[in-house]
Amino acid sequence: MPAVVIALLVAVAFFLGYRFYSPYLANKVYALQESFVTPAHEFRDGIDFVPTNKHVLFGHHFTSVAGAAPIVGPAIAVVWGWGPALAWVVLGTIFASGAHDFGSIVVSVRNKAQNIGTLTQTVINPRSRTLFLLIIFFLVTLVNAVFAIVIANLFMANPAVVIPIVLEIPIAIIVGQIIYRQRTAALAPSIVGVVLLYASIPLGRAFPIEIDGFAEMVGVQPRTAWVVLLFLYAGLASRIPVWILLQPRDYINSHQLFIALGAILLGIIIGMNEIVAPMLNRDLPPDTPNWFPFLFVTIACGAISGFHSLVASGTTSKQLDKETDARYVGYMGSLGEGSLAVGAILATTAGIAIVGLDWNTQYATFGDAAGGAVGNFVQGVAGFVSNFGIPVEIGTIFAALVVISFAATTMDSGVRLQRYIFQEIGEIAGIRVLKENLNLVTVVAVIVPLLLALDPELAFGRLWTLFGTTNQLTAGLALAVIAVWVLTRKRNPLAQIIPLAFLLTMTTWALFVQLGDLWAARDWLLLILDAVIFILAVWLIVEAVLALRRAQAAKQEAPAPEPDRSGGQE
Amino acid sequence: MATHHVILVREWDAQHTGSGCCGRVGGGVELCDGDEFARSRTEMERVGGIYQALHAAFGDQLDLTVVDPRNTMWLLPTVYRAARRRGLRRTAALRTMARSTANGAVVLDGKVLFDGKLPPSPVEAVAAVRAELTTTAGGA
Repeated sequence: MPAVVIALLVAVAFFLGYRFYSPYLANKVYALQESFVTPAHEFRDGIDFVPTNKHVLFGHHFTSVAGAAPIVGPAIAVVWGWGPALAWVVLGTIFASGAHDFGSIVVSVRNKAQNIGTLTQTVINPRSRTLFLLIIFFLVTLVNAVFAIVIANLFMANPAVVIPIVLEIPIAIIVGQIIYRQRTAALAPSIVGVVLLYASIPLGRAFPIEIDGFAEMVGVQPRTAWVVLLFLYAGLASRIPVWILLQPRDYINSHQLFIALGAILLGIIIGMNEIVAPMLNRDLPPDTPNWFPFLFVTIACGAISGFHSLVASGTTSKQLDKETDARYVGYMGSLGEGSLAVGAILATTAGIAIVGLDWNTQYATFGDAAGGAVGNFVQGVAGFVSNFGIPVEIGTIFAALVVISFAATTMDSGVRLQRYIFQEIGEIAGIRVLKENLNLVTVVAVIVPLLLALDPELAFGRLWTLFGTTNQLTAGLALAVIAVWVLTRKRNPLAQIIPLAFLLTMTTWALFVQLGDLWAARDWLLLILDAVIFILAVWLIVEAVLALRRAQAAKQEAPAPEPDRSGGQE
Repeated sequence: MATHHVILVREWDAQHTGSGCCGRVGGGVELCDGDEFARSRTEMERVGGIYQALHAAFGDQLDLTVVDPRNTMWLLPTVYRAARRRGLRRTAALRTMARSTANGAVVLDGKVLFDGKLPPSPVEAVAAVRAELTTTAGGA
C-alpha cells in the first residue's frame, strides 16, 4: 500500500476525531463555556496571564510538545508490523491523548491555571504530589539516558553528522549574540544559522568523525565513549545561561521542525512509495516481547504523553483567551504530535526501502529494531527527501541533524530539570550541600542517568520501555486528576477512565513481565528501576481508585453544580 | 470591538521546541522557580508593562497579541498580510515581516512602530500607537 494512502486515511481519521469526538469532550464532558472568565482575563498582567489568539497559542503549544520522542517509539514498534503501531498511534491520539491534553488545559483553567503537579495535590490528595515528583524524577532520569544513547547511536551510524552538530553550537551562540545583544530581528540571523548549518553538511561528509580509535585507546566501546562525551557536554551546557546556547539554538530548531515536517510530507506525496513492512508481522524475531502490552508502552509520545500535561497546565492554560479555545489548542496539539508519529511509522516502513535497505534485515531482531530505530527513521526520511532530488547521503545527514538537534536540547534541559529535582531532594532531606552547590548537584544530575546509559547489560529496548511506562504513568496521573474533576462536576468521566484504566493496566503488566525478563538477564540495575517504577504504578492505581471513589461518593451527596460563568478556582 | 491590531513580540520563558516531549524546564513543574530564564523574564515584564499601558489607554479598541518570535508560522503571514493591507509593496511588506521578529518589537496593523533595538517605555508605546491611529484613521 502506498504510504500516501495511509497518510490520507490518518488525516481523515484525525479530522473525524476533531469534528466529532472533540466536540463531545468539549460539550458533554468538559462543558466548556465561551463566557467563562479564563485566568488569562482574570489575572491579565501581560506577562504570564495574557489572553492569546487561539492560532498563536496553538503555535506555542504545538512547538513545545513536538520533539524527538514521538519518533523513537513508533520507529521501534513497527517491529510488530505497521498495523498495530499505526492503530495505537491513531486511536491513542484521538481517544487518549486528545482527552488528556485537552483536559489538562481545561482543569488547569478551571483552577486558576495551576499546574498538574499542584493539581494532583489539590484534586487527588497531598500524597499524590510526592508520587508526581517521584515519577518526574524517574522520567527525567530515563529521558536523559535514552537520548544520550539515541545520539550516540546516530553518531556511530552517521559520522558525517558530527561536524555539523558540533558547528551548530558556535552558530547558535553567534545567533544568540546577534539576537540578544544587538537586539536584531530574529528571522534573518536564525535563517542564516540554518543555512550555515546545512552548508556544513558537505564538510561533515568530507571529514567524518569516528572515535573508535579513541575508545579503543581508553579501553571502552565507542558507544560508551560517545555517551560519556554527551553527558560531559550536557553537564557543561546546563551550567551555561540559557540565552547563550539553549534559547538561540531553539530559533534554529523551530525552523528545522517545520522544514523536516514539510520535507517528509512532500516526499511522501511525491514518491507514492509502497510500504514494504508487513501490516502484521507474523514472523517476529524470537527476542521480541509480546505486542500486548509492550506496544502500548513502546509508543508513549505519539499516542499519549504525560509530559504534555506539564505544558498544557503550566503555560498554555495561562494564555487561553476563551475556554472554548482549549479544544482547538489541546486537541489539535495532540493531532499534530500524532502526525509526527505517523511520519516516523511511514519513514521506517516505506522510506527505508527507497534507500535500498531491506526491512526484514533492519528489523531482524528486537535488539536491532530498538537500537537502530532512529537510524531507520533517518534513512527513511533520507529516502523521502530523495523523492524531490536531495541525494540520499545528504538527506541522511539532514535527518540525523534534525533529530540530534532536538535530542541535544532535550538533554540540556533534562539535566537542568534533574538538577532542580536533586536540589528539591536536598532541601527535603536537609542536605544543604546538594541544595547550594550547583557544581556538585550538576555532577550528581549527570552521573545518575549516565550510570543507566552505561549499564553493561543494557538493552536499549528495555530502557526505552521503562521510559515509556514512566511517561504513561505521568499521563495516568493527569488523567486521574481530570477524571476526578469531571466526576465531581457530575459528568460522565468514561472518556478519561477508559484510557486511564487501559494505560495503567498496560504499564503495570509490561513492568511485571519485564521484571522476569530482567531477572533472567541478570540486569540488576534495570531490575531495581523496574521494581521501583512498578511500585509507583501500583501506588498510582491505589490513589486513582481512592480518589474516584471519593469523588463518586461526593457526587451522590452534593447537588448539581450551577453553571460557573466567573473565573477562579472551582 | 477591536478595530486595530497590536502585536507585541517577546519570548515566553521556559518555552522551547520539543520541551513538552520531553524535557520541560521552567515553572511548569513547580521545581524550577530559579532564575534560568531571568533574561527572558525581564523582557516579559518589560513588554508586560507596555501591554498593560496599551490596554489601559485603548481598552477594547485594540486587539493585543503577545507572540513569541519563534512562532513564525503565525507571525510572518499575519504581519505580511497586514502590511500588504496598508498598501506596502511586496518587498516592503517582506522587510516589515522580517523586522517584526525582534524581541521587543511593537507592530500596529502591519507597521513596525518599534523594532526592539530601543525598547520603548509604556508611555512611549502608548504615544506612538496614539499618533499612528490619529494619522491613519483619526482613531484614539
